[in-house]
Amino acid sequence: MSFMRKALSRRTLLRGSGVAFSLPLLDAMVPANTAIAATVANPAKLRRVGYVYIPMGYSPKPWIPEGESLDKLPFTLEPLEKVKSKVTVVSGMELKNAYPGSHATSNAAFLSAALAKRTESSDYCLGTTVDQIAAQHIGQGTQLPSLELAMDLMNNAGQCDNGYACVYQNNLSWSSPTTPQPAEAHPRLVFENLFGEGGSPEMRRAALQRRGSLLDSVTEEMRRFQLQLGPSDRNKVEDYFNSVREVERRIQLAEASVAENPLPDLDRPVGVPAAYADHARLMFDLQLLAFQGDITRVVSFQLARETSTRTYPEAGVPDPHHPVSHHGHNPEKLLKLSKINRFHVSLFAEFLEKMAATREGDGTLLDHSLYLYGSGMGDSHTHDHTDLPILVAGGAAGNMRGGRHLKYDKHTPLSNLHLTILNKVGVQLERFSDSSGRADELFAPLSM
Amino acid sequence: MLAILGVCMVGAKLAIADDSIEQRVLPIVQLMNGYCMDCHNASDAKAGLDLELVAGKIKQSGALTETKTLEKIVKRLRAREMPPADATRPDENASKAALTALESILDLAAAKDPQPGRTDSIRRLNRTEYHHAIRDLLAMDVDVNAILPADESGHGFDNVTVGDLPPMLLSRYITAAQQISRLAVGSSIRSPEGINVRLPADRTQDSHVEGLPLGTRGGTVFDYQFPATGEYEIQLRLTRDRDERLEGLTGTHDIDVLIDRKPLHRFTVSAKKGKAAASEEDYEAEEASVEANLKNRFQMTAGPHKVGVTFPQKTASLSEIKRQPFDVSFNRHRHPRRQPAIYEVSIVGPLNSPGSITNTTEGKSVGEDTPSRRQIFVSRPTKPNERECAELILRRLVRLAYRRPATDSDLVVPMRFFEQEYSAGGFEAGVESALSSILVNPYFLFRSENQPSNLSKGSVYQISEVELASRLSFFLWSSIPDAELLSLAENHQLRKPEILRQQVLRMLGDVRAGSLVTNFAAQWLYLRNLETFRPDMRLYPDFDDNLRMALRKETELLFQHVLREDCSVLELIDTDTTFLNERLAKHYGIPGVIGSQFRPVKLTDPNAHRGGLLRHGSILAVTSYATRTSPTVRGNWILANILGTPPPPPPPNVPSLKDKSETKRLTIRERMAEHRANPACATCHNLMDPVGFSLENLDAVGRWRTLDDGNLVDASGGLPDGTPIKNFVAIEESIIKHPELFVGTLTEKLMTFALGRGIESYDGPAVRQVVRRASEQNYRFSSLITNIVSSVPFQMRVVE
Repeated sequence: MSFMRKALSRRTLLRGSGVAFSLPLLDAMVPANTAIAATVANPAKLRRVGYVYIPMGYSPKPWIPEGESLDKLPFTLEPLEKVKSKVTVVSGMELKNAYPGSHATSNAAFLSAALAKRTESSDYCLGTTVDQIAAQHIGQGTQLPSLELAMDLMNNAGQCDNGYACVYQNNLSWSSPTTPQPAEAHPRLVFENLFGEGGSPEMRRAALQRRGSLLDSVTEEMRRFQLQLGPSDRNKVEDYFNSVREVERRIQLAEASVAENPLPDLDRPVGVPAAYADHARLMFDLQLLAFQGDITRVVSFQLARETSTRTYPEAGVPDPHHPVSHHGHNPEKLLKLSKINRFHVSLFAEFLEKMAATREGDGTLLDHSLYLYGSGMGDSHTHDHTDLPILVAGGAAGNMRGGRHLKYDKHTPLSNLHLTILNKVGVQLERFSDSSGRADELFAPLSM
Repeated sequence: MLAILGVCMVGAKLAIADDSIEQRVLPIVQLMNGYCMDCHNASDAKAGLDLELVAGKIKQSGALTETKTLEKIVKRLRAREMPPADATRPDENASKAALTALESILDLAAAKDPQPGRTDSIRRLNRTEYHHAIRDLLAMDVDVNAILPADESGHGFDNVTVGDLPPMLLSRYITAAQQISRLAVGSSIRSPEGINVRLPADRTQDSHVEGLPLGTRGGTVFDYQFPATGEYEIQLRLTRDRDERLEGLTGTHDIDVLIDRKPLHRFTVSAKKGKAAASEEDYEAEEASVEANLKNRFQMTAGPHKVGVTFPQKTASLSEIKRQPFDVSFNRHRHPRRQPAIYEVSIVGPLNSPGSITNTTEGKSVGEDTPSRRQIFVSRPTKPNERECAELILRRLVRLAYRRPATDSDLVVPMRFFEQEYSAGGFEAGVESALSSILVNPYFLFRSENQPSNLSKGSVYQISEVELASRLSFFLWSSIPDAELLSLAENHQLRKPEILRQQVLRMLGDVRAGSLVTNFAAQWLYLRNLETFRPDMRLYPDFDDNLRMALRKETELLFQHVLREDCSVLELIDTDTTFLNERLAKHYGIPGVIGSQFRPVKLTDPNAHRGGLLRHGSILAVTSYATRTSPTVRGNWILANILGTPPPPPPPNVPSLKDKSETKRLTIRERMAEHRANPACATCHNLMDPVGFSLENLDAVGRWRTLDDGNLVDASGGLPDGTPIKNFVAIEESIIKHPELFVGTLTEKLMTFALGRGIESYDGPAVRQVVRRASEQNYRFSSLITNIVSSVPFQMRVVE
């Protein structure tokens, strides 16, 4: 029996994989005579963004579609079949700031498009990453501004890659050039961060109400406390009241989200699934639940770490990933690499299917989301950072036109795509890192 | 010139109205006239100091308006930094006479018109204080670091800038109050809880860990408060290398789980016969199965238990490897683990708990017996008077938590929380709910000091005895006052000098005074920075977390020794004993220290190079860069934290030293000489660098060296007064010869910590008084503390 069935998913997640959660309240709110399409395509409803990282590039041939459509998916991308209308393959992107080519910079530059300061000490410096920029804009109204996830339970110590501190290799998300946001890989810790102790909606609502009444007591006693103080200190206490109100607002948000986004009973997962794929699915499921409960709107997820030599026997690759990625154009190794790529894509595809099957208002979770999936490395054999493997997934609200293969000129900055996505989710920004324009084609309406 | 200084004398006379004043300021006059005015005059006021102007002001309004400047002059003279080494300098006696005269004028003025300063009226408990407060209030050691964020530090301590309450923090306080009250009472454990204890990746696990049985190696031991009696799942994970392979797994290894030192369970892990024989697929499956087996369920009783996880030592034999044997092993490429190691211990439960604990019936306790419950339920109710009983319990908790007598209004909110849960969940659930409301109460979370309303702005008053009790307990224990201290304060006994003295000595003798080591000293001496100290692994391959912990421990134990034995604080600088375990002794090259436990080691070999703080690896490391020592950082550290004469911060846009791009091979000394060629830099670097250079025989991780990068180490340097020295021993000698500089600095640091505010020039007289009085008792640690406690800034406050 897999871990998931035992723990979290028995009552919640597996239901989501096949059957849509029904949200009667929101469904009822859609005016009957509104054209669904018009409602769904409302850009204001695009409200969340996610980033998934895969390490060590790809085998390009079985990945890049032949034409400009996804009618016939290449081998690596076949698992996307069911959701391909919501996916666009983007090729030609480059991370100039990841040079000189290395594993550390691949990971570090992926969301920052910034040059990592070469150091093994604590004076590391990179750039603020796109997910954190998004969190500053669209994450402030939710319980968690952003969520950082990974699959590796351990942080590397000591020397990681060619004179780069391990923080570059371990952390995808940076809230400032000097502040990496550590990712959590332990499902229980992620769960507690999202849902506290979980339980049924009633239990969760009761827990929030207990918080609320404690907060009320703070207000009441703070007034008494304030009375004994001198004038200037009374002003200081006024600031405390502002904090009290802000916490109050967040508790109300959480309460509203329990009421409006009726997640099923949530059991806290207790351990870490032994099999990689089960662990990864659980981490994807937690993202889905976090979105569904509107607990966060920004996620970054490192599916594996650079230089990982994890083996993937379940995908037919018993060899460690890192040596395989240095393929030397050996067809056998290239095939293995593409199998690993395909395996990772299949996990992402499963997640997209669940997102597309989960109703939210007049659409689905996927309709109101944008996901960027890819690697900071192209040809892993030479540590090259051009022609990166990139997928963008998302639904109607963003007007993202899927089912296509967008071919850009070979040295198009990935930051163009980053900038476009940030703009799309409402961040007003003219440039991002080394961006030279936008990737508006992604969203351009198709001429009919 | 003479005329001006003559006026100065008249001014001083007016201010202090002392007939002998002319006589007393004469040495100052002579000194300034002879040695200062050349640089610090009206037309060329070096460093913005115009002594002519100072004199003029004194003429108009008396000495008191210039105390700030005069205190600065005192500092520079004390440190012999002025007049500078390249100027004509007065002889020792003349300088001393001027200094004494200046100080006595300032001190006399302060005695007439005390300036206690003003600590902020409302200050939040910081994380450490909160942790200790919970420990002392509820007899429970909670890992507060997992719930509350770290505090920012100001003036070198994290209890200074604590006036804020951002939303995130308030939210965490609510979480903490709920979790802690539930854990303490244990009446509403709704679903399994858990912890994950992770060991640092760079922790070597080849030898015995203090606190675990002898004959074991590696692993960890920690305290965990089991929330209720029931079944718990304990799961272990082993370390893996960056390829996700289990590290060091060859042969068979046992892993013991111990509860309160008693064996609970033995796991066994073993590798398959040969790696080569197994296919990759087998290998993966096998590794997964190894970890899947490392979990089991156990029946545990509620309350705190010591959980140990460790490997029984297999027959020890020296490992044969090609390269130099390292003391560390944790990193695949440089010094791989040769035996498996614990990465994480997770505990989840209770898994089969009845949900909540049976409630009390008819005055008999049927709940579980844990220290925190004993502490809370001082009274047991009989059915009709459960409310009265709750009030009794809560009144006692409120008094301790709010650190003052409990009033009836204080009980309104807690009793309301009691009533709400009481009707639904019973007596204990009611108490738990009331407790959570106490723990989010502003009276608990904030320390407040209130000025009497009838005083005018600027006047000075004595703080109340209840406030004094808190000042004492937060100073000496970083925690709340205990019942004894509170009672004395409430009965107006605490301020009686003999009682106050007794209480201070009692508190210093209490185990809670350990916070002066782990909280005060750890901040004063930058020990906290060790946690993030990561030297370059190529240059210092022998550094690991074990060494990091040992370095910190050595310094803590020296400070603790001075505190416990009430030694002269000068022993911190000059001692022939240090505290070592095997790991640290090996690092220092001191033979004959075997085992993981620390012990005092008498250093008989004159070449041991160990003892005082300046020779501690901890301090030498946190004042170094990852790749090399930093004479500037070290010099600055000594000036700021030992001698109390910190140079001003560097001007903006200073280029740092070029490091690897350097084509010519220059020694650090040569590179820094280039740097000092810039006159803007030279003023301060001429003070800092020579002090730091004297420590060049001690490398970036504190080892003794005579060669640096192939060159003989040149440890010559200079004292801040410009005296050339052979090495740092001369600095130590100078500190012992003029102890008031170091003792004054320590006093200032202690007072910053005690008052929760920066030390200002008007505190100068109080600091000097502490030092002077302590000198009469050979600078014993307790003499510093008792004199700080009786000082004006500690006892009084100015009205805003």
